[in-house]
Amino acid sequence: MNRAYQLISLANARPGMVLGEVLRDDKGNVLLAQGAVLSDSMLASLARHGVGMLPILADRAEPVPAIDPVRVQERLDRVFRKQERDNHGDWATGILRRYVEDFRLQREVLS
Amino acid sequence: MSMLSPEQLAQGVQDLPSLPAVVMELLGSIEQENIDISVLAKKVSYDQALTAKTLRLANSSSFGLQVKVATIQQAITFLGFQTTRNLITAAAITGCFPDGLCPGFNDKGFWRHSIATAACARSLARRLRFNQDVAFTAGLLHDIGRLVLVTGHAQAYTEVLAWRASHDSDWVEAERAVLGVDHVEAGVALARHWNFSDTIRQAIAHHHAPELAGAGFLAAIVHVANAVVHALDLAGEEDELVPPLSSVAWDAMGLNEEAYLDLFRETEQQLEEMSAILMA
Repeated sequence: MNRAYQLISLANARPGMVLGEVLRDDKGNVLLAQGAVLSDSMLASLARHGVGMLPILADRAEPVPAIDPVRVQERLDRVFRKQERDNHGDWATGILRRYVEDFRLQREVLS
Repeated sequence: MSMLSPEQLAQGVQDLPSLPAVVMELLGSIEQENIDISVLAKKVSYDQALTAKTLRLANSSSFGLQVKVATIQQAITFLGFQTTRNLITAAAITGCFPDGLCPGFNDKGFWRHSIATAACARSLARRLRFNQDVAFTAGLLHDIGRLVLVTGHAQAYTEVLAWRASHDSDWVEAERAVLGVDHVEAGVALARHWNFSDTIRQAIAHHHAPELAGAGFLAAIVHVANAVVHALDLAGEEDELVPPLSSVAWDAMGLNEEAYLDLFRETEQQLEEMSAILMA
């Protein structure tokens, strides 16, 4: 990836920003891959590793806006409009739908 | 209605733009191990545009190289022959169909769907210890029959678009109603004409029916990847529709929710990067 990135201090980094370059610690060990989307837990872990600056993709330096759950759900219902929730013969599509809803609505998933 | 005869379908395939000879050679040899790599690398490097696109793809983060490769031969050294061969075919095929032939057909959406399915099928294959390169190519090509119909029969395909919009149907149904053939048959015809390997042809033929006997595991991977990509709504089509997902194919993947959430993330990231290169 050769897209431009800018250095942002850890304090100013926000979840949803994307790394424009691979991130290494001072021993050269890879901490995060290029293209990684930052999360709260990653930022906390980077602070523990003493990382000061982050290479953030320029066009993604603004954090991803918070999702609107109602609109997201409406769109998912539209995309899955042929799937009936209580059609047990079509259970695989139903599971895929639940997983994609968890993903898009950023629900916590217990593993 | 503009029913297409088998002869018209075959003629449409014959009239398609041809791929560079070296790419035809690569496609035909996709499962052969014993071909002369250095000769092929040299032949590809005569095509500068193809080489440049292939190398940008090889250097993208999806392939995780620690060094930047500058020649096809280097790409083969670091990524292996199989992967490089697939990148070359991906670079060639995405550049070979003209855009804008059929009013209302979303070329960009088509390629975004195909590239995302390729990335998703490759990620699935990695988790299932299946050949990732074959999965990538099959994902990229699974709907190629739609381009055969759009390119060879643009006028008739506008009727398919209209039929599908008014019936809110899936593509196969609309194509069968208007043309009497669908993109699966057209894809298989192209796979023969372009000499795709049997495995890839089988996957194209069965990606809507992976539970049929003899469909093969690759068809199941492409079937699930296709449904995932529709469900993630990545093509930018307003009337995006998730097709019915085969429970047989879903079961065959045997993955838990955590694995799927990772798969979704990976597919989205790789789509953005790869489409920037392949659709440039």
